Amino acid sequence: MKHIEVKLSLPVVAPLLDVIKTAADTLQGSLAAPLGVQDIDPEFREAWTEELLRSQNDELATLLALFDKEFFATGTVSFDAENGEVIVRACAALRLRLRCTLLKTVADEALESGEIAVETLTEAQRTAFMCYLFLATIQDLIIQHIDTLSADS
Amino acid sequence: MADSHTHTSPAPDTATEHTLASLWHVVVLNDPVTLMSYMVLVFKKVFGFDDTKATKHMLEVHERGRSVVWVGPRENAEAYAYTLQQWHLTAVLESDETH
Repeated sequence: MKHIEVKLSLPVVAPLLDVIKTAADTLQGSLAAPLGVQDIDPEFREAWTEELLRSQNDELATLLALFDKEFFATGTVSFDAENGEVIVRACAALRLRLRCTLLKTVADEALESGEIAVETLTEAQRTAFMCYLFLATIQDLIIQHIDTLSADS
Repeated sequence: MADSHTHTSPAPDTATEHTLASLWHVVVLNDPVTLMSYMVLVFKKVFGFDDTKATKHMLEVHERGRSVVWVGPRENAEAYAYTLQQWHLTAVLESDETH
């Protein structure tokens, strides 16, 4: 199976992992994107939410599993056809959650453009913003290679 | 939307077999976080759009705040909304009567 190996800078990424883990924990019981469809049967809605939460938690677990002992030994993470899409989704969920928590005071326009005067941010917000950019970088990387990864699966 | 297969799609579009009153629009809403490249990927995966069509809808979401990505029976529309939700996109359903 084709895969991409990415060497990350441990001193840069390691401090972000606590933020990622904390954000992932807050998503255990709530959806990153609230249900948009409102006018559905309550039982149906509950079943949807349960299923969506289950898949969201699986995605987050897959992402967090990237940062295992091997990562701390080598700084390397690996993406393939099996985990690529799942990780892209986990990153999307985490970015949405960061927007609602640590980055909630940052203007949407700034988040959208990625152009933020970091000196105006608190230390916690700065780390969260680094996380936000790091997750986007992972997404872009996988999306660029997703057809190649899938072609061989 | 920010710069930058799991295919659970319901049955094919059978909208033409239904009356106008029974048609529902699947509308994707903008958010400032989702990457443009991600939204294009989702539209390709979920709806089978080619690059051009997926990009057109993504730009519509980005510039107008929303895009109607599918029209058809309620049941199928719900299934699409669910799949979009799995990708963490916000989708709403609107009856054809509101358009």
